[in-house]
Amino acid sequence: MKRSKRFEVLDERPVNQDGFIQEWPEVGLIAMENPNDPKPSIQIKDGKVCELDGKKREDFDMIDQFIADYYIDPTVAEEAMAISDQAAAKMLCDVNCPRETIVRLVKGFTPAKVVAIFNQMNVVEMMMALQKMRARKTPSNQCHITNVADNPVLIAADGAEAAFRGFDEMETTVGVVRYAPFNALALQVGGQVGRGGVLIQCALEEATELLLGMRGITAYAETISVYGTEQVFTDGDDTPWSKAFLASAYASRGLKMRFTSGTGSEVQMGYAEGKSMLYLEIRCIMLTKGAGVQGLQNGSISCIGVPAAVPSGIRAVLAENLFTTMADLEVASGNDQTFSHSPIRRCARTMMQFLPGTDFIFSGYSGVPNYDNMFAGSNFDVDDYDDYLVLQRDLMVDGGLRPVTEEEVIAIRNKAARALQAVFKELGFPEITEEEVEAATYAHGSKDMPHRNVVEDLKAAQDMLKRGITGVDVVRALAKNGFTDVAENVLGMLRQRVSGDYLHTSSIVDKDFNVISAVNDRNDYQGPGTGYRLNKERWDEIKNIGSALSPDYFDRGKGC
Amino acid sequence: MIQEQMIEDIVRQVLQDVTAQKGTEKGKNQAEEVKMVEIQDTPAPKSNKNNLDYKKDYPLASQRPELVQTPTGKTLKDIKLESVLNDKLKAEDLRISESTLELQAQIAESVGRQQLANNLRRASELIAIPDDRILEIYNAMRPYRSTKEELLDIADELEQKYSAQINANFIREAAEVYERRNRLRTD
Repeated sequence: MKRSKRFEVLDERPVNQDGFIQEWPEVGLIAMENPNDPKPSIQIKDGKVCELDGKKREDFDMIDQFIADYYIDPTVAEEAMAISDQAAAKMLCDVNCPRETIVRLVKGFTPAKVVAIFNQMNVVEMMMALQKMRARKTPSNQCHITNVADNPVLIAADGAEAAFRGFDEMETTVGVVRYAPFNALALQVGGQVGRGGVLIQCALEEATELLLGMRGITAYAETISVYGTEQVFTDGDDTPWSKAFLASAYASRGLKMRFTSGTGSEVQMGYAEGKSMLYLEIRCIMLTKGAGVQGLQNGSISCIGVPAAVPSGIRAVLAENLFTTMADLEVASGNDQTFSHSPIRRCARTMMQFLPGTDFIFSGYSGVPNYDNMFAGSNFDVDDYDDYLVLQRDLMVDGGLRPVTEEEVIAIRNKAARALQAVFKELGFPEITEEEVEAATYAHGSKDMPHRNVVEDLKAAQDMLKRGITGVDVVRALAKNGFTDVAENVLGMLRQRVSGDYLHTSSIVDKDFNVISAVNDRNDYQGPGTGYRLNKERWDEIKNIGSALSPDYFDRGKGC
Repeated sequence: MIQEQMIEDIVRQVLQDVTAQKGTEKGKNQAEEVKMVEIQDTPAPKSNKNNLDYKKDYPLASQRPELVQTPTGKTLKDIKLESVLNDKLKAEDLRISESTLELQAQIAESVGRQQLANNLRRASELIAIPDDRILEIYNAMRPYRSTKEELLDIADELEQKYSAQINANFIREAAEVYERRNRLRTD
């Protein structure tokens, strides 16, 4: 065939490097509206759920049973299930229907009922609902801080910059697993240099992640994965009971935590039982709620390529975020993996959470260049900072970040690198040289960093665990070396675990170490003029991006 | 980013599993014949008019600091840099106490979050259990790790040694579910 020049150009467009697939309902390669999804039903006998979505109690798998006994409120179930799908969908986007009314009824919905309701809604209606249903009134943001070399000096500097730019939570992980204690330590120190009160985590295997939290090196945990079919849950090496126990273990050490799930994980792991991705994800959200966990990271997360490849997949991802908020849980709403070659598509996908606002719009925005992101990249990264700031300014939306100056960022990165240098010296870890401090101060990414002796670092990192180094040792090391303010901040984080205020839904900690959560900052959105509004101070901050010309510029005759 | 490859892999995986599942279907049905066991409800918290209220008592750190004490008897005021530097404050002083978790459970209840409150109460029972033992119990609760007897022994230990009644019942329930769903270790 003679090629059309127009089609040839289109073939070269980034979007045509993305993968797409037609729906295949029988195996679960379908986002929503799968004809094979169970039909909504519930039967309560003697205060107990004896039928759920057409399945009798004796046939329940582990997830059905957990949802029936720990999620469903039998006192509202019959009332809630009697509401028509369309009426429930209308309540969700009706500004006159308060959040509390919906939260109460949602306790009585079954997974199939929720999917049936969402099948009625388009994305604008879902965004309206998300704006109202988000648990914390003030939206916020989380970032990833990693690098391919696991270079701790760079993690400290990047963490400081990201905290300074406005992220309230920061997540690291490792290239080499044995580096974990150093990555966590570097992020804790760097983060508290950038902004006192920022919360940090290190994504690892469940038991190790808990250990670092117990030692006071990290402040919270998120990578506690749950799945929507029993087989995949088991392949993930857990059960709803083991995960719920783990949740209590975290709280018993005064540590904030949330679960993680996402559409597409079951089909990717090969056992979707022929159900839609959204149906299985709703089960994850319900069992998270049943386990008594305060929140959930979802929005497909590492499986985003799967829903993104099928029709209405990005709509389903928005729907899963929305249901998390309806279940009165904190939502860290994804946007955390590179899923498309197309910048247009990447931006559109993020607008679903950016415009209505969520507890954490990204779960993580890449606070490092994409090549350094060890979570397989993110949807936005450091090179997009200025675009993101302009989006906030164009649309008058609070996306959680603020404009900064180059001078400020250089200073804060340098301080973080020096603080970590002092901690390493005090604890007897391999030296951080002046050359490394200088490089981390001005670096774009790990390509700009001198190489460290990895063997020595790994030995010391394991030693850190063996010696039982805790957050208190870090506080002492900082204070002894003149970093009193940073020491106070790290101690401030340790104090959080004593009062337990940040165990509540959607908690963040402000610069004065006050907890802001869905307890003292409850979302009261009920239409225009209500809910979260930018105050003057915050709007002035967002408006004043560095590249905006002031009218004086023209007065002085420098303009045209 | 290598999405096309990934999607191809998924489709292949799905096909493989569909074929493999047909072979094991029979064994699965037999497993499901194990009788369903009734589950005991977690006891409902006693209502008490002295319970904390989120509107006036939260955050505890600023609204009710006098109620917060660590298991070692330190107050929030005792947690200061000076005490770290003169070794008066150690890592074990920076832990949450049973009573604080109970207060936070009351706050969660007052804001309508019953499951969160239940979790915080389960957590309050686990405070006395050493870190290593917590990690061992968690691992024992993972699929195919324990026999039913081993899980029931852990439940007894939690009940007798740590008075962790809610957790003990929770693990007994898990043992029943794992048996019914074939998730126990078979030696």
